Amino acid sequence: MTSNKILVIGGGPAGLEAARSVAELGGDVVLIEKRARLGGTPDRENYAKLTHHWRDASEAMGELAASVTNNPNVEVKYQAEVKGLSGSAGSFTVQIETGGAAESLEVGAVIVATGFQHFDPGRATQYYNYYSFPDVITLTDLEKMLKEHKVVRPSNGEAPEKVAFIQCVGSRDRQIGNEYCSKVCCGIASKQAIEIKEQLPGAKVFIFYIDMRMYGYWENEIYWPAQEKYKVNYVKGVVSEVLPKNGKLLMRGEDTTMSRPMEVTMDLIVLSVGMEPSAGTRSIAQLLDIRQNKYGFVEAGGESGLDPVATSRPGIFVAGAASGPADLDDSISRAGLAAARAVALVRKELA
Amino acid sequence: MPTTLENWNPGKAEDRHPEATYEEKERLFLEVKSDLRYEDFLYGCYECGICVSACPSARFYDFSPRVIAQAMAREDVERIYDILTEDIWNCAQCFSCVRCPRQNNPGGLVTILREVSIKNGLQESKDALQGYSRVIYKVMLKGNQVSPDMLQPDFFPDWGPWVKNFSENMHVWRKAIPMDTIRGITDVAWRVERKTLLELYTIWFESGNMDIIKELDEGLYDLLADVMQEELEEG
Repeated sequence: MTSNKILVIGGGPAGLEAARSVAELGGDVVLIEKRARLGGTPDRENYAKLTHHWRDASEAMGELAASVTNNPNVEVKYQAEVKGLSGSAGSFTVQIETGGAAESLEVGAVIVATGFQHFDPGRATQYYNYYSFPDVITLTDLEKMLKEHKVVRPSNGEAPEKVAFIQCVGSRDRQIGNEYCSKVCCGIASKQAIEIKEQLPGAKVFIFYIDMRMYGYWENEIYWPAQEKYKVNYVKGVVSEVLPKNGKLLMRGEDTTMSRPMEVTMDLIVLSVGMEPSAGTRSIAQLLDIRQNKYGFVEAGGESGLDPVATSRPGIFVAGAASGPADLDDSISRAGLAAARAVALVRKELA
Repeated sequence: MPTTLENWNPGKAEDRHPEATYEEKERLFLEVKSDLRYEDFLYGCYECGICVSACPSARFYDFSPRVIAQAMAREDVERIYDILTEDIWNCAQCFSCVRCPRQNNPGGLVTILREVSIKNGLQESKDALQGYSRVIYKVMLKGNQVSPDMLQPDFFPDWGPWVKNFSENMHVWRKAIPMDTIRGITDVAWRVERKTLLELYTIWFESGNMDIIKELDEGLYDLLADVMQEELEEG
C-alpha cells in the first residue's frame, strides 16, 4: 500500500536537514539514529568550530537537531537500526529494531544519510607511527583538544612549540585503494592551524601538502588568512616517515618546490586523515540492495549523472557523505534535494 | 670550486652532450618508452616527494627519483638524455621509491634507462660499470655473491676503509668461520648445484643478458660465453 511516510536513516547533518526539509514540505518523517544522540560525526568526534562563520559546532548541530525534534511531522527513533526492506518505490516495508524491539514500518521513500568515518592512520602506507608515538595525532584528536582549549603534546602535557600537519593521509593513494580526494582536509587543517595560533600564538605551524584544495570561499576565508595573518607555513611535499629523536619527532620528507630532501623535528604531528564510508553506510547499502562504488560509498548520480541524490534503486535516495567525501555545504544541499525528490515521488504515487 | 648562486650556470643539455643530436636523444627516449614495463612503472606524478624522502641516494647525491618520473611524464627529451647519461648511475636500485602513493616505480624506470644505455653502448654506461667486470664474472658464472677478494677495492669506496685488509686475507677469514658449510670453500661464498648453474646460464642467454654484456665488455662476454656454452653442451 502506498505510504506518504518518508524514512530518513541517520541523524547527522545530512539526515537532520533531510528530515527538516521533508517536514517543511509537509511530509511525514521517521528519522532513525543508531546512537542515543543526534548530531552525527560532528557531535561524536567533538568538532570544535565550523568553517561557517567560525561557529561553535555543537551549537550549530544543536540548532539543526532542535529543528527536527521540535517538529510535529518528525518522529525520531534513537538506538534504532534498519534490519530489512522489501517492496518498491511508493510502498516499502521496512523492518526496524529499536532498543532491541522489532517493528515493521510502511514508507513511500527512503533517504540514506549514514555518512562517513575518518581513515584509520594505522593503515597508512607511509611510516607515520600513529599507534606508536603519542605525539602523532589525527585531525579529530586535535579537534577535541581545540574544543577543550587544551592543545598539548599527549606525551608530556606541555604546549607544543612546533606543529606539523601532514595532508592526504589515506586519500589520493593507489596503494591503499583510496584514489579519491577527501575534499575537506585541506580546509580543516588550515582552520585548525589558525585555531592553534589563536590559542598558542608562539607556536610555529607547518602544513605539508601535495595540492591545497579550497572549496567555496575557503581560499580567501581560510587559506590566505592562515598564511598572511597567522603566518602558517605551507610546504609542498609530503612526509614519508616519522621517527623519535631526543623526545621530539623527526619528520622526513622532500621540500619539492626547493627540490631538496628535508629532515625537521616537531613537537606535535597532526595526520590529516581523509574520509571512508562508515560501517553503517557499507552495511545499509547491502541491506537496501543499492549499488556501491569501488570505494564502498553509495553510488549516486542516476543515469544522467546529474542527479547527485539518486541511487541505483528507485525510491531510495542518498544524502551527505554516504555517497562520497563531502563538506557540510554539500551534505546539506544534497539533503534538501533528496527531501524534495522523496516528497515529489510520494505525492506522485498517492495522486 | 663550490657551486654558489653567482657561479651556477648549468647551461643547456645539448651543450654538455654535443655529440648526440636531438633525433638520437629522441630515439633513445622512444626505446625507453616502448619497454613493456614502462606503463606499469609510470602512472603520473603529483610531486608529493615521498620517493625522494625515502631514497638513500637522494641524501648523498644530486639525485631525485621524482625528477626522473616528472621528466619521463613530460617527455622532456633533453632532460631525459641528461638522466640517461648521468643520474641513473647514482641510483642504488633499492626500490624504496615504490612507496609512491600513485604506485609509480622510479627505480624501475632507472632499470629500463640503464638497460637502454648499455644496449646502445653509451660511453657513460661503460664508465659506470668499469669496476664491475669481476663482479659480473663471479655472479653470472658461479651464481654466487661476491666478497672483497673478488673485486678491485679501489672502485668500491662505499665498502669502507677495512675492505682492502679483508680482501688481502680473505682465505684466512673464511677458514675462521666455524661452520661446516663454509669451511674449506674459499673460491666462492657457497657451492651452487650444477643443475642450478646450467639453468642460470640458460636464463642469461634467453633473457638477453648476454647481449647486454657483449655490448658492455666484449672481452668479458667471450670469457663468460666460452665457459657457459661448453657447460651447456655437456648438459
